[in-house]
Amino acid sequence: MKKLKCSFVFIIAFLLFTSSSVNHEYYVSVTKIEYVKKEKSLQIISQIFIDDFEKLIHERYDRSVTLAVKNESEKIDVYIEKYLKFKLDFKINTQDLEFNFIGKEYKEDIVYCYLEIENIDAIKTLEIKNEVLFDIYPKQQNILRTKINGEDKSFILVSENNKAVLNFD
Amino acid sequence: MKIFKHALLALLFVSAGAFAQETEEKEKPQGHTNQNKFKQLYDEFATPNMFRTGSGAPGPAYYQQQADYKMDIEIDDEKARLSGYETITYTNNSPDPLTYLWVQLDQNMRARDSKTPLINGSGFGPATTPSRAAGSYLKERFDGGFNIQEVSGVDGKPLAHMINRTMMRVELPVTLNKGDKFSFNIKWWYNINDHVKDGGRSGYEYFEENDNKIYVMAQFYPRMAVYNDVEGWQNSQFWGRDEFALPFGNFDVNITVPADHILDGTGYLTNRKEVFSKEMMKRFEKAKKSYDEPVIIVTQEEAEKAEKSKSKDKKTWKLSAKMVRDFGFATSRKFIWDMMAVKLDTKDVMAVSMYSKEGNPLWGDWSTKVVASTLKSYSRMTFDYPYHKAISAHAPMGMEYPMICYNFGRPNKDGTYSDRTKFGMMGVIIHEVGHNWFPMIINSDERQWTWMDEGLNTFVQYVAEQDFGEWFPAALSEGQTAYPSRRGPAKNIVRYMGGNQDFIAPIMTKGLNTYQFGSNAYSKPATGLNILRETVMGRDLFDYSFKEYANRWKFKHPTPEDFFRTMEDASAVDLDWFWRGWFFTTDYTDISVKEVKKFAITSKPTEEGKKIAERFNMDTAYLLYFVEEGKDGYDEALKAGELSDLPTVKEFVMDNFTPEQRKEMKSPRYFYQVTYEKPGGLVMPLIVEYTYADGTKKRETYPAQIWRLNDKTTSKAIASDKEIVSIIVDPDLETADVDTSNNSWPKEVKDSDFNKFKNQIKD
Repeated sequence: MKKLKCSFVFIIAFLLFTSSSVNHEYYVSVTKIEYVKKEKSLQIISQIFIDDFEKLIHERYDRSVTLAVKNESEKIDVYIEKYLKFKLDFKINTQDLEFNFIGKEYKEDIVYCYLEIENIDAIKTLEIKNEVLFDIYPKQQNILRTKINGEDKSFILVSENNKAVLNFD
Repeated sequence: MKIFKHALLALLFVSAGAFAQETEEKEKPQGHTNQNKFKQLYDEFATPNMFRTGSGAPGPAYYQQQADYKMDIEIDDEKARLSGYETITYTNNSPDPLTYLWVQLDQNMRARDSKTPLINGSGFGPATTPSRAAGSYLKERFDGGFNIQEVSGVDGKPLAHMINRTMMRVELPVTLNKGDKFSFNIKWWYNINDHVKDGGRSGYEYFEENDNKIYVMAQFYPRMAVYNDVEGWQNSQFWGRDEFALPFGNFDVNITVPADHILDGTGYLTNRKEVFSKEMMKRFEKAKKSYDEPVIIVTQEEAEKAEKSKSKDKKTWKLSAKMVRDFGFATSRKFIWDMMAVKLDTKDVMAVSMYSKEGNPLWGDWSTKVVASTLKSYSRMTFDYPYHKAISAHAPMGMEYPMICYNFGRPNKDGTYSDRTKFGMMGVIIHEVGHNWFPMIINSDERQWTWMDEGLNTFVQYVAEQDFGEWFPAALSEGQTAYPSRRGPAKNIVRYMGGNQDFIAPIMTKGLNTYQFGSNAYSKPATGLNILRETVMGRDLFDYSFKEYANRWKFKHPTPEDFFRTMEDASAVDLDWFWRGWFFTTDYTDISVKEVKKFAITSKPTEEGKKIAERFNMDTAYLLYFVEEGKDGYDEALKAGELSDLPTVKEFVMDNFTPEQRKEMKSPRYFYQVTYEKPGGLVMPLIVEYTYADGTKKRETYPAQIWRLNDKTTSKAIASDKEIVSIIVDPDLETADVDTSNNSWPKEVKDSDFNKFKNQIKD
């Protein structure tokens, strides 16, 4: 087990350079974050490749589960919520706020995770930390696309730079 | 009737445009070069010449070099080491005198002094785990790379040579002129990499149980570089990503492995009787006549027995191949082996699979059938598979070589597998077997243009996957009616093409320098070709031209222009705009319906109408006038009027048409001017679905050329006898439109994806 983890770093470094079939592009997730003022809600959709997430769950929690199969184990939602709560942080107007995990769905090779923070009257500042999959893929890039107070922005977070800060003052 | 109506409309609209122009120009703009998106690709394309013609075919002076190999190689299973002695005979068919040759040493990418790790940026995160730190900073790098022991002429005397990383220059004792041949020897060895641990397209996978390895070997020998009319020597270094450029040649290879190994690879097995048991021979003869089910040559039981011991003896397998650009082989005592015959139009060939028990039941059930199905699909889309067999070998990654490819897909330990594992495995087998055509036979330069083999191959893969789903419905899962292809359908490329432009490169970029490699070189070109086939050209024109390209460049070296030109040359469809947009830019599709104006028609002159009549010196009583709903001069009574009720039209119709013809005439009552906009830079056909009040629908495809004079906006005047109640642009999502929220009139207020999901969860 330990040995396997150790070697992981090397697999990742070279994966970009192997295989002529290229399973999916490179290690990337996309998280869309929209503030819907009239619903006082920060709505978050995090899109992560299923095979990446499955690898993560295998490494971190449980080798026995398989994602995106019929009669999928209920444990998977528990793992996903637990993991995202650990790796995704939102600080709104300097206050740490926890999101609700609404659920997830699979579309093609991606799992869409729906998260929400409710009862937000206004957003003056927003700090987002996204460390999803950095623990298994050092080369992982997490893209954030925000739509807040009428402004569209895009950030790329990597393990050396895992935070985005937005100011609306 | 139709002519009359159109002329009238045109007159009114065109002159309205003319008025606007006169008032606008204030500061006189400077001139400009031709920026039109329909501009011919003369600047981007290489000039046609005697080697490659303007039609996209090989020219009268086309040539290609030849490299023939005789090799003796041996695996040291204990040390995981491969050694070889090879004699290369190089034929210069070019008109150019050569004073040196370039040989590729791909294994040097894994050498300790390789510069590959140095070209990737890296940094430190705020924290790391001890195991990761150890892996990254404490572990010594794998000691890979070629050890070149000898480079000599046929007389055995050393040849001067120089190694620049992954390329070796060999000095020729005498200039090699056109038609000359030169033979030389290279002796080498290297440590085989564990490609599960260290990555790589070839190497071994280690199995702790019984201490065994599966070797899938490739780019294992010093290989001749390509010399041609477009690149001279293609000696761009191998950094690890951009694959290969290789000349064709004939191979005679003797491979010595432990006696209990099962081996297969590129070429005819010329000493089958020496390496097969009698039982295997019998099964092989049976397989040659079995067209529906694979015949097992080595059973799982036999393989499991072989795993448990290790033979000290050696066995040599002799393979011989003609007109191949490369050579690969797989060997292990763990291999189960099955084969099946495949009937193509002009010949029979063999579909073959090699896999260990870890691949079962998935591999035994499907691998060989997938190979067989793929051979049929690709043969139909191009030409009959020219080699005698195609092997799919079980490995941790997917990679292709002539006649043999390595494919992933392993069930769980209990033999169960998810749809992702199943379709991942079937998809990769189709893809890698398909590579036999692109680039093994239609031998494009992968080092320079990844998309030429990956993109074209991924496109045909899509066609082959759909065929496979149709021909083998048992392979599909419950509820599925077609193979779930990941790449090909237009809507699947939207996420990439609509993404952040900072991380998108045009397809026409060297693979090493692209972002999002898989989308750039695989999905986008495959999707573009699929759109070309289904939406722009139609299957007949596309398939004929694609086949023509394949046949023109079969066993030759095509360039991008050869492909682009042939597709136009064989179809009479001018596609420069398509190549420019899809292959030379990162533009995306976004077409919208901007507004719909409703008009009524009257013989009562309007103010604007009078001006036009005056300008063209026409009688106001002779003209008809359009009044926009809600504007001056419009009243509800006009709405009831029909075009043929108006006095001047009636007169014109009575004078010009017979009573029979008049009976056939439609009499439009509704007049619309629909404005379409194109916020996206990509030029695409404008596909529109009009829905009428009676529920009927009409589909109209305005060719891409509708954007030729105005890239941003266009409008259509529509006279209809039925009321239009809604308009949808690209109703079947076939243009990869990145924003469909602006595709309908009246504008659909759609719930956000988030709310849709949330409501669905609540229910």
